[in-house]
Amino acid sequence: MEVTREIVFPASPDEVWEALTDPEQLEEWFANDVELDAREGGDGVFRWDDGEVRRAKVLVVEPGERLVLDWDDEGEVEFTLEEVEEGTRLLVRESTLEFSTALELRAQALAYVGRPHGRSPCGLYAAPPSRRLR
Amino acid sequence: MKDPTGRVFDALADPNRRYVLEALASRETATATELAAELPVTRQAVAKHLVALNEAGLVERRREGRETLYQLTPAPLGAAMDWMAGVGAEWDARLAALRKHLRNRRS
Repeated sequence: MEVTREIVFPASPDEVWEALTDPEQLEEWFANDVELDAREGGDGVFRWDDGEVRRAKVLVVEPGERLVLDWDDEGEVEFTLEEVEEGTRLLVRESTLEFSTALELRAQALAYVGRPHGRSPCGLYAAPPSRRLR
Repeated sequence: MKDPTGRVFDALADPNRRYVLEALASRETATATELAAELPVTRQAVAKHLVALNEAGLVERRREGRETLYQLTPAPLGAAMDWMAGVGAEWDARLAALRKHLRNRRS
């Protein structure tokens, strides 16, 4: 499952890209203290004044176009930039595998109510997972 | 996004616990013994995972005679809704801050 947000900024894709990848700029809007090596495989550490700390691994870097971070606690976040007449459209998509799993299982369970010995028509985990399992 | 959301995530983070949930999802109720028969793990291991899943609110248990029956709960749905609302609100606030930041850099 995922959460998406779309917003258009009156700024160039390069300006938005810098705001997403430059630790000093990230400290102006995302977290209070930021370390980020914005290269594929690079690490990010985001700290907030309330004591919260989140770590991430940079999965995808396509400068000016797409950035994907994998949170070490839950899910991943994808930023997609597109130049538009008014400036730059930013699409943010934060998703999580864990809840998708939970919801699929629940849907499957509901489908089998009344058939206590029914078997799953397809093994959810028959195929290797598409991303790493923690 | 901490408890109870965090506990659901922690419980689902273990692949073996997801296998237990999958086995449980294909039937209305099951005992630890029945689940162990379907999975390449011992009854003791299944029982341990069921305790963790129960603490996370993902499965509920009830006694029936000498048996303990386990069943999936709708809890993940509520936790998932909480996750969506929480993450959505965080992004609304961050993107408003980013808009302000970009405006400040231009002026």
